Amino acid sequence: MGQVWSVARQMIAEGIRMKIAVVFLVLLGTVVLGLPFSVSGDRSLTGRVQTFMSYALITTGALLSLLTIFMARSLSDEFVNRQIFLVLTKPIPKWRFVLGKWLGMTVLNAVFLGFAGAAIYGMVHYIKRAYPPLDEEFDRKELENEVLVARHATPATLPDFSRPALAEFTRNMEEGRYADAPDFDPAKEKQRLMTKYEARWRVIGPLDRRVFEFENILCDRSASKQVQVRYKAEVAQYPTDEIFRSYWQFGNPLKGAVDYEAAMRHVVGRFHTIRVPADCVAPDHTLTAVLHNRNPYPGEPQFNNVLEIRASDGIEVLFVVGTFGWNLVRLLLIMLCKLMFLAAVSVLAATVFSFPVACLTSLTVYILAISKAFLSEALDFVTSDRGSAFASFSEFLARAIAFAYEAIHWVVPNFGRYDAVETLVNGRNVSLMWILQAFSELVLLKTVLVLGLAMLLFYRREPAEISF
Amino acid sequence: MTSDSVQPVVQTAGLCKTFKDFWRRPRVEAVKDLNLEIRPGEVFGLLGPNGSGKTTTIKMLLGLLYPTRGRISLFGRPPTDVGVKARIGFLPEESYLYRFLVAGETLEYYGRLFRLPQRIRTDRSECLLDMVGLRHEARRPIGEYSKGMARRIGLAQALINDPEFLILDEPTSGLDPIGARQIKDVIKELGRKGKTILLSSHVLSDVEDVCDRVTILYGGQQRAAGDIGELLCKRDVTQITTPPLAEATIERLRDLLLRLEQKDILGVSHPRAKLEEFFLRIVEEAQAANVKTSGARGAGAMPDFLKAPTARDVVDTLVSAATRRIEPTVPVPMDESALAPSPAQQVLAELLGERRGAGGALPAAAPAPAPPGGPAAATGPEHPRPPVQADEAVIQSLVNRAGGDTQRPPE
Repeated sequence: MGQVWSVARQMIAEGIRMKIAVVFLVLLGTVVLGLPFSVSGDRSLTGRVQTFMSYALITTGALLSLLTIFMARSLSDEFVNRQIFLVLTKPIPKWRFVLGKWLGMTVLNAVFLGFAGAAIYGMVHYIKRAYPPLDEEFDRKELENEVLVARHATPATLPDFSRPALAEFTRNMEEGRYADAPDFDPAKEKQRLMTKYEARWRVIGPLDRRVFEFENILCDRSASKQVQVRYKAEVAQYPTDEIFRSYWQFGNPLKGAVDYEAAMRHVVGRFHTIRVPADCVAPDHTLTAVLHNRNPYPGEPQFNNVLEIRASDGIEVLFVVGTFGWNLVRLLLIMLCKLMFLAAVSVLAATVFSFPVACLTSLTVYILAISKAFLSEALDFVTSDRGSAFASFSEFLARAIAFAYEAIHWVVPNFGRYDAVETLVNGRNVSLMWILQAFSELVLLKTVLVLGLAMLLFYRREPAEISF
Repeated sequence: MTSDSVQPVVQTAGLCKTFKDFWRRPRVEAVKDLNLEIRPGEVFGLLGPNGSGKTTTIKMLLGLLYPTRGRISLFGRPPTDVGVKARIGFLPEESYLYRFLVAGETLEYYGRLFRLPQRIRTDRSECLLDMVGLRHEARRPIGEYSKGMARRIGLAQALINDPEFLILDEPTSGLDPIGARQIKDVIKELGRKGKTILLSSHVLSDVEDVCDRVTILYGGQQRAAGDIGELLCKRDVTQITTPPLAEATIERLRDLLLRLEQKDILGVSHPRAKLEEFFLRIVEEAQAANVKTSGARGAGAMPDFLKAPTARDVVDTLVSAATRRIEPTVPVPMDESALAPSPAQQVLAELLGERRGAGGALPAAAPAPAPPGGPAAATGPEHPRPPVQADEAVIQSLVNRAGGDTQRPPE
C-alpha cells in the first residue's frame, strides 16, 4: 500500500501544482459561492434553496467529472515525458502504479467533493438566514419539514385486485365471451382485468370515499412529530376556481392509533402535503387515511366531481428518518462512486492512448453513461424492428450500431440510476441501500473490471515502445 | 576481478530488438545478436556512436523494452522481475524527473518506491543532496533547474537505494566539468566498493578513466570487447616519465638507446596538464572565495552508505553482531559443534585480542592469525566448523587493510 499511496500522493501533488485541479477548484468555488446571489427560484425561500441545491450539485458533479477526465493526463504524460522510464525501473509492480494513479484521482475527487459539500451545506444555511420566507406558515415550514430533511416515502398498499379479476374472467369464460376473440391470451386478459379494477379503485365518485392503507411507517410515533401525506388529485372536469374541497380522516382507533380529521382546499393537478401528528400511526406501524370526496366547507360552492389518484403520481406517506446534512453526505458518496468509475475509465484510456485521445474516450464514456437511458430507448426502437438486417444498407448500419452499443452497454453504467440530486432537493432520504447498490455496481463490479483491464494492458505495454 | 564461476550480474544471449511500424512490419533492427556478460564488481563500458543500440540495450536490460529475440538475465532473473529492480540504480540519458516536485520530494518519492524506511529515506536524501551540491536548492521545483542540476538530481535518485548494479546512460551529458568529474569520482568510489556499473557514453575519455572492460557497438552489433588495459595498450612503444632532464642528458640517452637497442627516441616533450584539471582548480578557487552562484555548489563528500566500508565499520559491525550473539539466553541442550564460535566472533577476537573461557561463546585458546594460505588453514581441532565464504572475505580484507581504509576486492 505504501507504493500505491506514494504514486497517489505524487499525482495529487501534480494535480495541485500543475494548476489543473486548482482551476477546477476555483470554478467550483465560484459556482457554489456565487449561485445563491444569482438564483431566486419561484421567489419563495423553499424555491430559492431548492434551485440553488440543484444547480450547485449538478455543476459539482459535472466539474468533477471533467476534472477526472483531464487528470488522466497525468498518466499519459508519464509516457510522453518519459518519467515512466524512471518509475518502472524501481521495484514497483505495474498494477500498483495503475492503482496509485486511480487512487490519486479518487482522493482528489473525495477532497473536492468534501469542499463542495461543506460549501453547499453552509450556503443553504446562509440562504435560510439571509432571505426572508414568503410567509412563516407555509414557506419556512415547507423548507424545514419538506426540503431540509431526509424523509422516507411509503406508497399506499393496493388491495388485492386479482380475486375480482379472476371472478370476472371465470364468468366471462363461462358465458363464452372470449370465444371469438382473435389471439386470445388468458394471462393478458387477467392482467387487463386487474388493471381495470385498480383504475376503478383509484377513482372516487362524488360523495364517495376511499380508504388508503400504508405499512412499515417506522417513525417516532410521538404527537410532537409529524408524518406527511403527499398526493395529487385530478378531476374529471376542472372547477372554475381550480380548487377541489375534500375531507380527510387519519388514524385507525381500532388499531390503537389516535385519529385526526382535516378539511382541505387544494388546487387540482398539483402535489399537496398534509402534515399529521405522528401518533396517528398505529403501534404496528400502519396508517389508515380516508379521503372523502365531499365539500366540508359550508357556504362554499360544491362541485360534484370525480377525483382520481393516478397510479403514476399516487399517494404516499413520508416520515423523517434523518437530517439534511447526512442526506447530503450520502448523496456525495453516490457521486463519488460515479467518479471512481470514471477515474478507472480515464486510467484505462491513458494506459492505451495519448492525452487528447484518452480524454476524448473518457468523455465519450461519460456522455454515454449520463444519457444511457435515452440511448437505450432509441436503440431499442431500432432493434425492435423485426426486418432483415440485410434488407438495406441503412438497416444493416442501424443493426451494426445497435450491436456495437450493446457490446459496451453492459460495461457503461447508467448514471441516471444513481442521480440523487432530485431526491435530496425534495427532502427525500438518500438511502444506504442506494449507496450500497451504487458501490456494488459502479465500484466493486465495473471499476474493478475496468481497472483490471487497465492493469493488464499496462502490463503488456512496452513503456519505451516506439511506433513509426 | 572475479572468477568465472561467479554468476554474472548481466547476461544476454542472442539479444535482438526490432522496432516495428503501426502495421507491425519490421522497420529498424536496433540490436542484433548481442551477447553481453557483466561480472559482479566490474565497471563495464558500453560504447558506440549515435544509433548503435546502446540505449536500446539498456532499456531492454531495464525491462522498458522487450527483446524481439534472445534472452536477458539480471542477477539470474528476468529484467521485469520486481525483486531484481530493487538492486538496480538507473540514470537515464536525460533527466526524466517530475518538474513540479522539488529535489527533496523527488528523492523522497523514489525512496518510497524502493520501500525504504522513513528515517533512511530522509538521511539518504540529505546525504545525496549534499553529495551532488544541491542541498541549498532542495526546495526549488526541478522544472526551474538547469539541465546540469537536473542531471545531478538524476544521479542522486539513481543512488537512493544503494544499488548493487548501477546503469548510467550518458552520465556526463549536460554536466559541467565539475559535475562530470564528480560522476567519475562516484563511479570510481562505487567500483571500489565492489558495485557493478554499466556505463554507456560517447565521451571516450570518461569511459577510459573509469571502466575495467568495454564493448563497442556499431549498427546494433558488437564490434569489439575486452579489458580496457589490454585493448588500449600500445605494445610497440615504451614510455618513461622522469623529472626534467638536461638536453645533454637526453642526447646521451639517445646514444645509449642506439647503442643498446638500435632504436631512436621518437619524441621528447613536457606533458601538458589536462584542461579539466586546470578548470577545476579555477572553480575551486572561486568557491573558496565564496563567489555567489544559483547553480550547483561544490559537491559534498560521498555519503557513508555509498562508501566502501572502512576497517572501523567492519569492527563496529562485528562488535554489534557478537554482542547480539552472546546475549544470555535460557540454556538448552545442544551438540558440540554448536559451541564453535561464529566466524564474526573469531574475527572480533582476533581484532580485540580477547581470550575467553570455555563457558563463553569463544574457545579458550586465542585463535592464531590467518595464515597466508587463507583463513581455512586456521581451523584446527578447536574449530571444527570452518568459516563460511563471506567471512573469509571479511578476514582477508581486514588483513589487506593493515595500511589503509579501503581496499578493492581481490581480483
